[in-house]
Amino acid sequence: MSAQEQSPSSPAQSNEPETTHFGFQTVETKEKESKVAGVFHSVAQQYDVMNDLMSFGIHRLWKRFTIDASGVRPGNKVLDLAGGTGDLTAKFSRLVGKDGKVVLADINSSMLKVGRDKLRDKGLVQNIEYVQANAQYLPFEDNSFDIVTIAFGLRNVTDKDMALRSIYRVLKPGGRLLILEFSKPEHELLNKAYDFYSFNILPKIGEIVAKDGDSYQYLAESIRMHPAQEKLKSMMEEAGFEQANYKNLTGGIVALHKGYKF
Amino acid sequence: MPQQKLSMALEYVVNQALTINSAHKTSKLKLTTLEQKTLALHLTELNFPLCFTCHQEKILVTGNIDSADCTITTSLKALKTIKENHALTQAIKDDLLDIEGDLKIAQAFMALAESIDIDWQSELAKHIGDIPTYKLTQLAHTISDKLMFASKQIKADASEWLVHEKRLLVTHRECQNFIDDIGKVTAQIDKLSLRIQTLEQISDKTQEEV
Repeated sequence: MSAQEQSPSSPAQSNEPETTHFGFQTVETKEKESKVAGVFHSVAQQYDVMNDLMSFGIHRLWKRFTIDASGVRPGNKVLDLAGGTGDLTAKFSRLVGKDGKVVLADINSSMLKVGRDKLRDKGLVQNIEYVQANAQYLPFEDNSFDIVTIAFGLRNVTDKDMALRSIYRVLKPGGRLLILEFSKPEHELLNKAYDFYSFNILPKIGEIVAKDGDSYQYLAESIRMHPAQEKLKSMMEEAGFEQANYKNLTGGIVALHKGYKF
Repeated sequence: MPQQKLSMALEYVVNQALTINSAHKTSKLKLTTLEQKTLALHLTELNFPLCFTCHQEKILVTGNIDSADCTITTSLKALKTIKENHALTQAIKDDLLDIEGDLKIAQAFMALAESIDIDWQSELAKHIGDIPTYKLTQLAHTISDKLMFASKQIKADASEWLVHEKRLLVTHRECQNFIDDIGKVTAQIDKLSLRIQTLEQISDKTQEEV
């Protein structure tokens, strides 16, 4: 599949604005998905290695924190949206057991393929389904999931409000959404150090390891364009989520937002 | 995120230990019976829970207590009482232990932990070879023997200095002699008191006759 592939289930008619952000660039809305797809097709094979390198392995702790906060039980149905290489899916699959189900969904076929191969190599086949899906137009029935997670994926979605509404629709009453995403550091000094790291070191690591500095330049830019903690919380509330709240991790570099559908 | 750090480290250590366990068959059987069961531990030493879930012969360590089949609140010291039924009752009475859920699951997890028996020499030999392992083991034994000898020697020297040179402490025999002397004096006092009692009785009788 090329970088120009069309996203699955994108209705021709929608109320999306004409332009949107792609990192610091302003691009046409319809262009963003293919550009993001290009980034992830390019980095898919090196994604896990780069995650470990870029975050010094801390992403594993952030993901564990998400699992611990999810309240997952045996028999639950979980949607791991923008699930990429399946780190959360692997844990959820073990915790929901044979009576539960985990759907690993990603808009990007390359990421989904890497994730599927990795999980199969781990022997996790029993209760996992793979779906190529756009978060804005989730191809699932209403009220069908106990938990939806989206880890480091929401900032790449073209219309975040639409994606949140779509997630709200597929959640069962009593179900919860967990958004793990880069956010705004709480302290100015940390913010400055983080900026320096993101714009000067991160693209260099990408250049050397993944042979793709531009994609990691986009990563740094997309993090800055992503709504800060309070803004995302209000977006969740606007989409209908109740008891929306967040917890800053590693000084706010990452935040875990959680909201319920009642 | 200390909870996540600890659970990640524990998960790695526990699963490594299960993999290299020489009593693998026994553990495997125990793991099968515990499939999809979760034990939650609230240790008083930690301010967060640790949950152990069995899945396909692996142990997952999380902080997710919602799925726990058995929850135990206790201290590290009192934890070992779980395997002994008589001590368990006493520990619950003494408020050292609180159990919610299926106790058999907790006992099965304890039995699994006890069934882990690792042959460290074989494991080391796999990485560095038989002869270096043998030499290393010999060296470890020699060092251990020397350390034990040194420890005994230090104890003896310290005792000599405290008891004989500085006379700050007494020997066990001196202490025993002292106790024996006290025993003798007590017996003499008892005899004397009996004698006084008899004399008092005789004196009372004589006075009555007069």
